[in-house]
Order: sequence, then C-alpha cells, then structure tokens
Amino acid sequence: MDKLRAKGRSWNWPPKFRKWGVRERANFWIGMVFLLPWTIGFLVFTLYPMAASLVYSFSIYHPKAPLEWAGLQNYAGLLNDKLFWKSLYNTLYMVVIGVPVTLLVSFFCAVLLNLKVRGQSIYRVIYFLPSIVPTVASVILWLWILNPNAGILNTLLGYVGIQGPNWMSNPAWSKPGLILLGMWGMGGTIVIYLSGLQDVPTSLLEAAELDGANWWQRLWTVTVPMVSPITLFNLITGVIAQFQYFAQAYVFRGTQNLGYPLNSTLFYSVYLYQNAFLWLKMGYASAMAWVLFIIILICTILLLKVSERFTYYAG
Amino acid sequence: MTDNFIPSKSTPREAGDAKRRRDRVRKLRGFFRSLSSHALISFVGLFFLIPFLWMVLTAFKSSQDVFHTPPRWLPYDNVLVDVDGEKLPLYNVQTNDGVRQLAAAAIVEGVGTFVDPANPAVQMEYKIQRGEVKIAEPIMRVHFNWKNFPDAMERGSRPGVGASFWVYFKNSLVIAFISIVGTLLSNTPVAYAFARIKFPGRDLLFIVILATMMLPYQVTMIPLYLFFNDFLGWGNSFLPLVVPTFFANAYDVFLLRQFFRTIPEEMCDAARVDGASEWQIFTRLIIPLSVPVLATVTVFTFLWAWNDFTGPLLFLTSPKNFTMALGLQDFQGQRTMVWNQLMAASVVFTVPIIIAFFFAQKTFIQGIKLTGSKE
Repeated sequence: MDKLRAKGRSWNWPPKFRKWGVRERANFWIGMVFLLPWTIGFLVFTLYPMAASLVYSFSIYHPKAPLEWAGLQNYAGLLNDKLFWKSLYNTLYMVVIGVPVTLLVSFFCAVLLNLKVRGQSIYRVIYFLPSIVPTVASVILWLWILNPNAGILNTLLGYVGIQGPNWMSNPAWSKPGLILLGMWGMGGTIVIYLSGLQDVPTSLLEAAELDGANWWQRLWTVTVPMVSPITLFNLITGVIAQFQYFAQAYVFRGTQNLGYPLNSTLFYSVYLYQNAFLWLKMGYASAMAWVLFIIILICTILLLKVSERFTYYAG
Repeated sequence: MTDNFIPSKSTPREAGDAKRRRDRVRKLRGFFRSLSSHALISFVGLFFLIPFLWMVLTAFKSSQDVFHTPPRWLPYDNVLVDVDGEKLPLYNVQTNDGVRQLAAAAIVEGVGTFVDPANPAVQMEYKIQRGEVKIAEPIMRVHFNWKNFPDAMERGSRPGVGASFWVYFKNSLVIAFISIVGTLLSNTPVAYAFARIKFPGRDLLFIVILATMMLPYQVTMIPLYLFFNDFLGWGNSFLPLVVPTFFANAYDVFLLRQFFRTIPEEMCDAARVDGASEWQIFTRLIIPLSVPVLATVTVFTFLWAWNDFTGPLLFLTSPKNFTMALGLQDFQGQRTMVWNQLMAASVVFTVPIIIAFFFAQKTFIQGIKLTGSKE
C-alpha cells in the first residue's frame, strides 16, 4: 500500500494533513536526522540572512551604528542614483550583448568539435582547457593580452592592418574586452552544447539529407531546434551569472578605482559591493540586492515564457 | 557534377572504371572536406590556444624581454660571459675595426663601458646609439627563465609580513581540502533522504531546496558578513569560508540525489527486509555504489574553492591568510607590472587544476553534462 502510493504520486502539493501511520512517523524522524545538515544550514545561512537583508533594505544601516528604520527611502534613493542606473546599464549591456554572442560562438564551436575529424579529442581539450583557468589568473592574463602596447592581441591585429583599441582605458572597449575574456573561458557551455549535439538523432539528419537538405539547412532545421532546450538552459544560467558578474570586473580595473575606466566596468554587483563594503551603506546595498533578485526572477520567468514558443522538447 | 554519371547500360568493364573514378572523386572530396574542417577547427582553436601559450611563455621571459616591441613568442635573454668572475651581458659593438663581441661592464646614460672578454684589462667606451643607428646591440638567445617561478613565489605581494605565494598556495589547499570534506559529509545524507527515504513533507522540502538555487549570493552576503565577522568574530580566518560547506548546498544535494535515484530501489527494499537500518543502507550500499558521482562532487568542490575570489575578498584581511586568488589579485593591484612574475604565479595557480583535469578528464566532462541536464 505504502509503495503503491509512493509510485503513483509525483508532487505532494498541497500537503494533505491527516493522521500519519507508525511507519510514516518513524520515517519522518529518520528523514529529519538525515536532513539535519541542510536544515541548520538553511536556517542559519539562508533564511536568517534573507530576513535580515530584507530588514536592512528598509533601514539606514552602518555596521558601527544602530539600525535606523527608513521605510522605502533606500528604494526611492536608487531611482535618483546616477551610478545605480549606470551600473544597471553596464550589466544589461553584458546580458543583452555578451550572453547571446557568447552562446552563438559556443554553439558554433560545439558544431566544429562535433565534426568527424582525426584528433578530435585533442581539439576538444584545447577548446575546453581555458575554462578551468582560475578566474583571477585568466583576468590578469587578459589584462596582459589586451595591453595596448606590448599586448599580443593588438600586435596580431597590427599584422593584419588593424589598429587595436586601448582595451582597458577606453570606456567603449572595456566591456567588449571582458566579453572576449568570457568567451575564452566558455568551455563549459561548449561541452553542454556538444553533449546536446551528440543526442541529435542521426536518423533525422539522414532523413533531411535524403530530402536534399544541404549542411546549412540540416543545421538550421534539425540541429538548432533539437538543441533548443540546451540553448534555453545556457541562456538562463548565462543571464543569471551575468547579473552577478563581480570577480572579473573587480580584478580587471587593475590598479585603478572600481569601475575604471569612467565607470564603464561598474557592474551591478560591483556597485553593490562598493556600497556595502567600501562606503558601508549596508542598508542601501541590501535594497540593491533585493532589486537584483527581483530583476533576475522577472528575467528568468520572461525567458521561460517567451521560450515556450521557440523551444522544442522531443518526447 | 560527376554524381550525374549514370552507370546503367554499360559493359561490366566500363562499370568498373566508372566506379573507380567515382571512388577517386569521393575520396578526393572527402580529403578536401576533412582538410577544410581541420583548418577551420585549428583557426578557431588559436583563440583558445594562444592566450594559454602566451601565459606560459611570458612566465619564462626576462624582465627586459617582456616589454620588447614587437612582442616575440619565445623568451629571450642576454648571452652572458664570465669576466673576472662576473657574469656580464655580451654586445655586438661597431668599433673602428668592425663589429666586435664585447661584454658590457656598465651602461650609464646611454654610454656603455665595454671590455673584451679575452682581454678584460682594457676598457672601452661607446655610445649605445648614435641618432637612429644602434652602435651596441645586446646579443640575445632563446632562454627559458625558470628562476621567475621561485622569484614570483618568494616575492609574494607583501614582503615582510610572512606572506608569499607559498603561503597563499598552502592556504588555498587547506581551504579546498576542508571544503571537500565538508561538502561530502554534509550533502550525501541529505541527498539520500531526498532520494530514498519516504517521509511526509519530503517533496515540499525539496521544492524549498531547489528554490534556494534561485537566490543570488548578493542577498545573503551582507548579513552573512556581519554574522561571521561581528557576531561570531570569525573575521580574517578560514572559518567563514569552510564552515558553511558542512551544511549542504542545493547544487550538490540535487546532483547527488539524481544519482542516488538511479540505484535500483529494489536493492534498498531488499536490505530493509533483511533488517538493515536506513543508516546502514546509506553507508554500506549507497555510498560504495556512488563513487563516480562522489568523485564529480570532489572535483567540482575543489575547483570552486580553489577559484573562489569573493569569499576570501570579504573575509580575509591580513596577507598571511590570503588564498592564491586573493594574493594574485593583490600582487597585480600593486603598481608593479612585473608581467613575467605575474604570469609565473598564474601558471602555478593553474597547474593543480590542469593536473586534476588530466587525471579526471571524464569526471570533469561528466560533471558539466550533469549540471547541463538539469532541465
């Protein structure tokens, strides 16, 4: 009986409140013991900080002074904060331009790595390896590569007759520089795409070939729809990660102030960090954190809704 | 084009010829196709390969070679000669009797004092440059400067306070190791409960745990900082970085649960019938069968702890407690643009991960695929 019920149900929601049997009660307590590490962690490291953060966000809070209730003042202050809007713009730039470009290129790379050629596994290692270089090391490496004078990128561009920009000190080029850095380390995305490409049924591709579809048509009409769930997954994780983009920008400004040059790398999380830990405006920063949470939620739901029409789930 | 050849109504011999011709064309076409594939993959691969190579090659360069324009691929260094027990750089100098190889004893304001290595008693003075023309040019050779590595490691970012990259390296290892222990100990029982113990409210709790994945770190960051730093007084220690790993996290619970659910339930039921407790089933049956996924969790916890920058930035204040990530950023943030040493330290920072990758390549790729198949 117990087993039958367990098999039949998928989600026990809403929970039915009725008298528990002996077995259920015993299992409940055993389960609670197994869950203990998570329960404590959830209460102390998630639930309490969430509640505290919410309270802070409605307060003026300097860690050395008592909490002072401020109502909606922090949230209202955000609306008039030029730097807040600047940081939101910078972040949206990365979300709207950086994420899709990176996805497109990583899909292209996965298609290349899926070609049947000799030495395929070596190519795969080469494409993947940069993604395991630690973030700080990769940012410093790219500071060196993007160095306007002695950097290798501008030198190589010079060989083909292109005058490379001042990547780090020109506000128009600092974000594209960071996107390049991100693309260098997109091996994880490529691997996920590659596993999706390997799952595309060859029968479909062969059928398309028999119908006279060329390589490009097969890619566009068979492969792209078949991997669309993976595109959605990569898109959502990419967007969420981009909204929380911090370490790269923190290291990228080099010896300059946060946001160098001219606040062009002052991303949302960087500005939040600056408010919280450099200016000690903990209440204001908490309000920023909640606004960020809401933005991420809305974006995720929006992506899921919009993608329903463009995503194909086999089976 | 040749595909239109129709071999019907032909003698067997003609048909054979046609087949051979067709095979040759097909082979040729296949060859060109694979050649162009290789060319394309290699060309795009340069984007991934060159920065990596550039990091390693720069790590071996001498300080003056780093800023050589245009940059050279291989590391060059002065050719040194032994003159009276001193190692001096060798120069090609245009003298009155042609170009001679002389050792530079000193160069002051563009005027070099040179000696002939064969006859060190006689000193000669030459201007290094006359207008645009170089009179004296150092003789360079390809030389891998291994000394950059110990130099970078010793130098550290804050000499004099007992902080060097050796210390940072050790700190990172300690934090990564404790994090792995904590993650394995805390996540496995939780995942087991969600996978195999049937108790009321389980699914509701599982929704809660999945929901915590949506919460950005920025929301909990500030209260956690105040809690660890001010309330518990754990500031400037490893505790805020490692203690939370002993209390499970949504990602690893999810990953482990998905794997545990693939272990046939009949095995657990049979053990239960035989009188095994849940704890016994968990430790004697599930854990031994889950080595692959435990390896994945181990590797990814190591990667995460080794790579983490924000945590150490928030909680570690004195240099002797820095991790590699924080120490490297600190080294770079000071106005010392010693790129060769920065790259050497970066290489040292990266090597443990590369080693881990080549030992556990399958585990790496599997782990990424598992996170990708969450949908």
